[in-house]
Amino acid sequence: MIDSILLVDDEDLFHLVFEDSCSLLDITLSLQSLTSSDEADKLFKKWFQEGPLEEKPDCVFVDLNIIGSSFDGIELIRKINFEYGNGVVIGIISSSDDKQEIEKAKAVGAQFWIIKSDEIEPRLEAFRKDYDGYKNKTASFKVYK
Amino acid sequence: MISFGKDIESSLVSLYKSKKIALEGNLLKVVKTQDKDFQDYLDEAKTKDQDTRRKRLEVTKQVQSQNKDLIDSQAEKEKLMLELKRALSESEKLREVALDDLETLQKKTQFELIGLIVKVALGAVGAVCIFTTVLYLYVLSKGLDSKIIESTWSNMFGIILTNCFSIIGTIMGVKHITDSKDSRK
Repeated sequence: MIDSILLVDDEDLFHLVFEDSCSLLDITLSLQSLTSSDEADKLFKKWFQEGPLEEKPDCVFVDLNIIGSSFDGIELIRKINFEYGNGVVIGIISSSDDKQEIEKAKAVGAQFWIIKSDEIEPRLEAFRKDYDGYKNKTASFKVYK
Repeated sequence: MISFGKDIESSLVSLYKSKKIALEGNLLKVVKTQDKDFQDYLDEAKTKDQDTRRKRLEVTKQVQSQNKDLIDSQAEKEKLMLELKRALSESEKLREVALDDLETLQKKTQFELIGLIVKVALGAVGAVCIFTTVLYLYVLSKGLDSKIIESTWSNMFGIILTNCFSIIGTIMGVKHITDSKDSRK
């Protein structure tokens, strides 16, 4: 089980879907959901500059296009990985499967790409199985279709 | 993991039995007990919680899908509206072109008619002129009495010249009015 997860997605309904799916699949006990990348950026800045670092989540799921934010999910991943220290398992959760975007995400250190659809549970289940590999940095980048 | 004391466990079990109120959420996953009754309670509460979550997940997914359909149909509607506006503006342009063509055609017909009238009138005038002149010349060459034909010839030329200028004036007037209308449009 993943200790704590942070979801950054502008769609409130998806927060509910993700929370219920995670609970039913016993993926995590602690889930925090944010609707903008600016909020996530502020939190990471706070954790990184003021601490305690233990408060930061173990795994971060970021939407690709976060409406109402100053920057997209790929930029948020770049900031988290290169500005605030690479200490979390991080990847994209999006309905897009654009190859160029996937390559961009890989380049900034995303470890996975989960494609959102009506049936998100099997993908989360598969992700949970691979999670330890992502945590130990032994698993390579994967797209969950 | 956390565990409650015996009192709390039995209170929670009796609350569930009397009011059907049970613990919910992820808290259930971290509570441990040695008591068989409370363990049954926890199992039942977990099942109930999972059923509730499953139902909520289904409803949320339905709403999400309906939202997506709504957004798609909204986009489709906007696309159709744009196409409609484009078609409307095109038909408006075509209408204007057709109206211009009709006006040009009407003008052309009018000018053709005027031209015909002028030609016929000029023909008649010319014919009368020629006939009277020939007759006058004949009378002069034969040395016949030319008083009547002389005055007739000069009167006729006066009338014809007056009428010619009148016709030219009318045509110029009509042309001026038509040009003024066009420039006002």
